[in-house]
Amino acid sequence: MTMVLAICVAVTFAVSIYLMLGRELKGVAMGVFLLSHAANLSILAMSGSPMMTHAQQEAEVAAENGSHAHIVDSPLMKDPPILASQYANEQPLATMVDPLPQALILTAIVISFGVMAFLLTLLVVTNRKTQTIEVADLAEEARKA
Amino acid sequence: MNSVWMVMIAVFAPVTLGLATLWLPRKAIELRTAVAVAGPLIAFVMLLMVTSGVKTGLATQHAYADHEHAHQIISEKVDLTTDTLDWMPSLNINFAFLTDGLGLFFGLLVSGIGIGIFLYARGYFGKAAPTSADDLYRFYPTIGLFTTAMLGLVLADYTILTLLFWEMTSISSFLLIGWDRYDKKAVKLAMQAFFTTGLGGMGLFGGILVFGNATGSVVEGGIWRWSQMLEHSEALQAMLLNVTSHPQLLWAFVLMFIGAGTKSAQFPFHYWLPGAMAAPTPVSAFLHSATMVKAGVFMVGRLFPVFAALPLFPQLIIPFGAATMLYGGVVALQQHDLKRIFAFTTVSQLGLLMCMYGLGAIDFTYKDHVFAAIDFDVTQIANHAFYKAPLFITAGAIGHFLSRDITQLNGAFYKHKAICGTMMLAALGLAAVPGTISFQAKELFLYGILHAADVYPVLWVVMVMTIITAVCNVAICVRVCTTLLGLPGGMTEADGEHHGDHHHDHPHEHGLLAHMIWLPGLVIVSFQFLGGIITPLWNMVFGIFEQPATAANYFQYKAEGVPSLLYVAKHLGSIPLWISMFCLVAGTMLGLSKFFRGSIKDFADKIYPAMYWLAVTGGGKCFRLVQTGNLKHYLIFVLGALLLGFGWTVAVDAEMWSTLTGDEAARVFEYWPGILIGLIACLTAVLIPMTDIRIVRIVFLGACGFAVVALYLVYQAPDLALTQLMFEIISVILFVIVLRLLPKEKKGADAGKAWRIPVAVCVGLVFGWMTLTAASHNRGETTNPDAQPLGHTLAQHSYGLKTDDDGNPKLDTAMSGDVGKRGGGGTNVVNVILVDFRGFDTLGEIAVLGLAAMGVWSMLPHRRRKGIKYRKVESDYPKEALDPLESEVTT
Repeated sequence: MTMVLAICVAVTFAVSIYLMLGRELKGVAMGVFLLSHAANLSILAMSGSPMMTHAQQEAEVAAENGSHAHIVDSPLMKDPPILASQYANEQPLATMVDPLPQALILTAIVISFGVMAFLLTLLVVTNRKTQTIEVADLAEEARKA
Repeated sequence: MNSVWMVMIAVFAPVTLGLATLWLPRKAIELRTAVAVAGPLIAFVMLLMVTSGVKTGLATQHAYADHEHAHQIISEKVDLTTDTLDWMPSLNINFAFLTDGLGLFFGLLVSGIGIGIFLYARGYFGKAAPTSADDLYRFYPTIGLFTTAMLGLVLADYTILTLLFWEMTSISSFLLIGWDRYDKKAVKLAMQAFFTTGLGGMGLFGGILVFGNATGSVVEGGIWRWSQMLEHSEALQAMLLNVTSHPQLLWAFVLMFIGAGTKSAQFPFHYWLPGAMAAPTPVSAFLHSATMVKAGVFMVGRLFPVFAALPLFPQLIIPFGAATMLYGGVVALQQHDLKRIFAFTTVSQLGLLMCMYGLGAIDFTYKDHVFAAIDFDVTQIANHAFYKAPLFITAGAIGHFLSRDITQLNGAFYKHKAICGTMMLAALGLAAVPGTISFQAKELFLYGILHAADVYPVLWVVMVMTIITAVCNVAICVRVCTTLLGLPGGMTEADGEHHGDHHHDHPHEHGLLAHMIWLPGLVIVSFQFLGGIITPLWNMVFGIFEQPATAANYFQYKAEGVPSLLYVAKHLGSIPLWISMFCLVAGTMLGLSKFFRGSIKDFADKIYPAMYWLAVTGGGKCFRLVQTGNLKHYLIFVLGALLLGFGWTVAVDAEMWSTLTGDEAARVFEYWPGILIGLIACLTAVLIPMTDIRIVRIVFLGACGFAVVALYLVYQAPDLALTQLMFEIISVILFVIVLRLLPKEKKGADAGKAWRIPVAVCVGLVFGWMTLTAASHNRGETTNPDAQPLGHTLAQHSYGLKTDDDGNPKLDTAMSGDVGKRGGGGTNVVNVILVDFRGFDTLGEIAVLGLAAMGVWSMLPHRRRKGIKYRKVESDYPKEALDPLESEVTT
């Protein structure tokens, strides 16, 4: 699953960079928006795969079914980071995804929304002041100023 | 009274009383002068008292030693430091003073000449001139600050304290040089002096820091006091002799020499000093004789007892000093403005003083070391002050009444006898005519070179340079005297066109204070002749400040004094005497000759403007080259750096490749729903730039966002999914609204940009690779608690733990555990992290959101509220533009 996520990160990053290199600030804004998705997914990958490994599955099944363990065909998912009584052991992360990256992303989502709103407002104001949102025109304005 | 308080009063009296004059009425010129002059006077008296105390201690020891063994050198040291007044003890910066011979001599010189200068300022600014009241009102506080800075600089014991006063002299001299605020040239010259000496201050700062850090092996914590440096001179000299294993000390010296060299106007940094004559003449006289430029000489003198052991010391100082000496002398001869002439002779003399310390550092093995120049450094310095201050004082005075251009002054003596007489007496000191102490000083210097050159023949070059300089000085003296007396050979108007008149149209005054425009000069110059003729008297006064230069017996009393004129004639050896005579004769001939009468420009005057131009224009060009203002260029810089850095990592680290084939990469097909969602996310992302229609773009953007929400769900992150869902909806709405306010794309807006694709693909690959590498890292699912990820601990302590009957930890659902183990008290670990473990971070996040909202609010146009009247503001924009939302809706 990590590989899938890594591919998603790669694609969204590439598209956002492509958009940001564009001629118009609208595309740039979209690129920034997409960039925050890519970055969040990248952080999410740090919590490891949500699928249990072979050993974890064995342990989990053994705990549920007593001593004679057998391995199910379909892989088991880990639990979301919400505590229940079965986590009262010394290894909560054995069956639960890492909560820390999620907490970081939650903050990042909110902040990126704030930045996004600010950026879009700036776009509107820039357009109103300079009558253009072309990157090259704005650079020209800056050179004149 | 404790000596530290006496020195404190001495140091701070000038600035305190100078500031006190601000409370006096503007017209009270006499009172103002009296109060201000009390500053240096108090300083002088206080320092005399300190000196007498130190001298008594030294003299007692000397007498005792004489009694026991007639010619024994005393090895017992006298403590010359005052007590310490705490200022910033934690930073090792306190008020303590080193009242050794050098420091006290400089202190007395500064305050003594200061008295004369303060009085002269009264005569210079005059009473009758319309601006004089204002000038004096400003002048005394500023020069008081300058005097205080200089006194503190020469007396401070803590190295950093010295630096603080050092910078204070730079700042106050800036204020004084740029005295005429409306003269742009003066302000420029003030900045030139400030930047040049400020650069040196940086050097000194660095040197002090390096020195303090490098000497941790000598004194615990390093040496931060000059007295400590002198105390441990033997250990330090041992380190300096073997400097290759202590390179830091070498750098410390070089940096400190940069400070001393720029302050003392050493070639090629001398340009600021002639420029500094833009200041009023009282300042020039003070600055050239006793203060500011002497600070660099003082610093070298302070370092000398220890750093003389460094082989680089003479190698660095002698060439710079000698070059400065020669250059100053030659340029001085070819100037017409009196102040410029004397300014360049100052440059020359400063080079001589530096050179003297350099020569003193040569450990020459001549059998008779009695009269080496370095042993009388105080005499050399005092000698210069005692003719240079009167020269400037009288130059300013004659500039007031006639002109400062020497070609205009033919026969001026008969109009202003007192002023011109004083100037000529001082010029005799400049020429080192027998009968002035200057003569003996030059003899001693020649003697020093002679003996040094015996050992190192290369120093004959310095001897030749000295002779040329002396000839120039004599020629200047001859020209000044013949011109003022109107004798044949003097300068006349025929010798050069008249550049800008410095005539100030100074109204004549009467009374004692009016004579202050020349009287202080006469008093000061009289020391030259007293010392030259009654040399034992000079030795009685200045002998106590002279210290043997070698550090081993630094604190010992010195019995020998400057030789008298008679002694020089009889004993000193014939060569220096012949050289002096030759210089006098050759100088007189040169002075009377037709050669070198024109006025030349100093090429070094171009250095600072050139540097300034380079910094401003060159910097501007660089700025425009890098700061194009084009977003694309910035992005390419940043992304290029990223790609290069990552490429380098991949090239040197083979493990980077292993992640591509590692365990995580192999598990790509383990969960089909995940793959499907990932595909949707990728597809929608790629589709965004495929279309030109903006609303379709936003649809794809939103679709991509919702795919990300689904990915969060796959990753078992319900909180993230919920939050992202909500913000995704708001963002899409926001985008739709904003895009309506923006102009439509032009046709084919994104066409012809094929180069963007490889860049974007490369960057995407880099980030994907980095993500995979980071996520593939072994997560340490072990029993070792120290190797657990941080999330482990957070999860454990999210709610609270208790120990069950079997001794295993259990989730404490009943919250029965003791408070210390309770944890966050919530079962949703992510929430607990946000509001509890990272509570302050979340507070910051809220603040950011609030700031963003305020920013949006402030930028968007506001609707008028009913009942509130706004002042009408003329706007450049039509009403529709101011309220686009409304206009869009209505149209």
